[in-house]
Amino acid sequence: MPSSSAPRALRATQRLTAQASYRPVVLSRTPRIPATTIAATVRLSSTQSSPHNPSRSSVDQTEVTHFNALASSWWDPHGPSRLLHLMNPLRHEFITRCRNSVPTPIPTSTTPSKFRYLDIGCGGGIFAESAARLPTTQSVTAIDPTPEVLKIADAHRRRDPTLLIDGRLTYLNQSIEDLALPTSPAEAYDVVTIFEVIEHVNAPGPFLEQVLQHVKPGGWLVLSTIARTWTSWVVTNVVAEDILGIVPKGTHDWEKYVNEKELRTWFAKRGWGSNGGMKTMGVMYVPGLGWKEVPGGEGWGNYFFGVRRDL
Amino acid sequence: MPPRLPLGAHRALSSSPSVVRVHLQLQRRSASTSPASPEIYDVVCVGGGPAGLSLLTGLRASAITSGLKVALIEGQDLQKNKLHKDASLESFSNRCSSLTPASVKNLQEIGAWSHVNAARVQSYQEMQVWDGVSDARISFDWDSARPLLSARKPTQPTTIAYMIENVNTTTTLLSRLSALGGVDVFSPTKVESIELGNDTEKLDLSSWPILTLSNGKKLAARLLVGADGANSPVRTFAGIPSRGFDYNRHGVVASLKLEGPGWGGPDHKIAYQRFLPSGPLAMLPMPGHMATLVWSTTPERAATLKSLSSKDFIAMVNAGFRLSATDLEYLHTMTSGQEKEVAWREKHTPVNERSIPMKVVDVQEGSVASFPLKMRHADIYTGERVALVGDAAHTIHPLAGQGLNQGQGDAAALVRTISHAVQTGQDIGSVLALESYNSERYAENNAMLGVCDKLHRLYSVESGPIVGLRSLGLRAVNAMGPLKGFFMDRAAGRA
Repeated sequence: MPSSSAPRALRATQRLTAQASYRPVVLSRTPRIPATTIAATVRLSSTQSSPHNPSRSSVDQTEVTHFNALASSWWDPHGPSRLLHLMNPLRHEFITRCRNSVPTPIPTSTTPSKFRYLDIGCGGGIFAESAARLPTTQSVTAIDPTPEVLKIADAHRRRDPTLLIDGRLTYLNQSIEDLALPTSPAEAYDVVTIFEVIEHVNAPGPFLEQVLQHVKPGGWLVLSTIARTWTSWVVTNVVAEDILGIVPKGTHDWEKYVNEKELRTWFAKRGWGSNGGMKTMGVMYVPGLGWKEVPGGEGWGNYFFGVRRDL
Repeated sequence: MPPRLPLGAHRALSSSPSVVRVHLQLQRRSASTSPASPEIYDVVCVGGGPAGLSLLTGLRASAITSGLKVALIEGQDLQKNKLHKDASLESFSNRCSSLTPASVKNLQEIGAWSHVNAARVQSYQEMQVWDGVSDARISFDWDSARPLLSARKPTQPTTIAYMIENVNTTTTLLSRLSALGGVDVFSPTKVESIELGNDTEKLDLSSWPILTLSNGKKLAARLLVGADGANSPVRTFAGIPSRGFDYNRHGVVASLKLEGPGWGGPDHKIAYQRFLPSGPLAMLPMPGHMATLVWSTTPERAATLKSLSSKDFIAMVNAGFRLSATDLEYLHTMTSGQEKEVAWREKHTPVNERSIPMKVVDVQEGSVASFPLKMRHADIYTGERVALVGDAAHTIHPLAGQGLNQGQGDAAALVRTISHAVQTGQDIGSVLALESYNSERYAENNAMLGVCDKLHRLYSVESGPIVGLRSLGLRAVNAMGPLKGFFMDRAAGRA
């Protein structure tokens, strides 16, 4: 680890541990995690209070401000979001891989063969638009707490008549806590996606608890994020933001990263993803070649994680 | 990273000044009254040549892309220009191409090749190429191109390429396309204008090309494909520059009849190319005793050749493969009487008849024509909601017979790009979705354009050390089987 990074990383760990011991603010739905668990796990169960929405939002207002500033360039193919655009096809490949890992139930009159998506933290709509265009999609509901990026998403959607078909794509300026809970499994979603979001969320544990309720039994929760390791700290904060400048400065806060093992443990405890219903794919951006799958990459860099809600 | 195409680079297109006025009037009208809203298409292909038709057939033949709504606009009447099934085998179009096995494989994959008029296609198994100044020669066939220590496997192909009339290729693709159905064909219909759409309250088509057709229809294109030839109006609309130069050479073509089926018989056909200082002279085998000529030469000599009587023209073609460059230079100064002059000079020029094409005995009436040779390459093949294929993207020197194959390669690559975009929910017209098409094809085409250009320059030299070096090069390559195999793989499109 470069010497310059050590103090910051150390401070981060101290802060996380401190929060956990002094202010174990745990929502009623969140089970307590034993104090002996490693500091990293604490991150999943702790939460920070936000001055703007102290009661229940997982949204960090600093993040909202940051993404508001990025909004106008969201769809510029050579702009600051280029890496997200380039990653998008991989998201679909990963979802397909997750779905194909378990036998598909034969569609009957009651189980439609088309899928309902919920995209949390949709931003300018890169994934939401693409999911809505797929012929296997029934509907996409996409939510984001940042009003400016949603305006961009809405404006961009008007450039494609396919996306204007009634009910195909719905944008909501809401946080997950405000989204109405499904009253029956049919109202829940076949695929719930959280791409490049949990590293921007205040408290991933309580946030994921909210998300779980929207996944249909037999459906998949799919997310992508960055592992919290020294390599990812160097790559995202120093190389990508400072040296290459391919990611806007201030986009990442390494302290918020979540590791794949933490996710596995967390979901297994809730009885999700049994019978092989948990999938991981490590990916890496190679300048000049684009995003490439890297076996084992989930241990140290960007990765996808998919977990199936048991039937 | 490819250069960006700013939206401002889009500009309205008109094919002639008179159309500009019409087009401007249309614009004004649309500003005051609300015009009929355009019909929305996923892919609009302008140009029904081999590249455009191959693209549409590829899209329709695949289950992934068959859901796209596609249209074809062609200024000529596609039905009228079809090849008749029972057309005489004594008569061939003068516009022929050499299809590489890679192109044929793609045509098979999209289900088109079974529709071909096979009696009019001629495969060839050998190529003879020689230097018109030094006579250094290289012969290509799969037997001599084998690896050093192993014999050619029986399963390995013996065909280098397939000679086919362009009209046979397009008729084949049209036949497959009509069997597949699902393409809105506008033919014969011209594109009157292309301009960007409007941002209305409901729908923002400001990034969509809107085509106004000569039949009054308006189409909005999610992806507009320019398969509209070297002077591509689509490329002009997209503001994509195309750079290059004219060779100051014309390609003279003709349909010829030889004294026999060729020295290898009907099952072992041979293509011949002699590099003369004025340009390469090629005789390519067609079925039976027929052959097609491509003679690249100066515009003045091309004009002379076209003005000759059939007998003198035949004499000149025979002389082109037999007499010295100096003799040919003299013969080109004559306005007539070449037949007698050539007969006399041939007596004094000993040649090994079996190493050159059989003698031409007849030239098909009205088949002698010429076209200027150019080298052009578009700066980029894609823009927002625009992709270029075939001659719209690049024009190549015909000496390696790669022009049509490059277009087929473009079409297949664009089908792959669109297919991937559909599978991953991308907008198939977006710059990002199209990036892979440009990166896959640009470098490959550029390399081929460069090689053919360099060959042309190399063989334009008449004397001096270059002649010796290039002859040495030819002889060396000829002696080295594996190296030749590499070159033949390139020619066959297998690399």
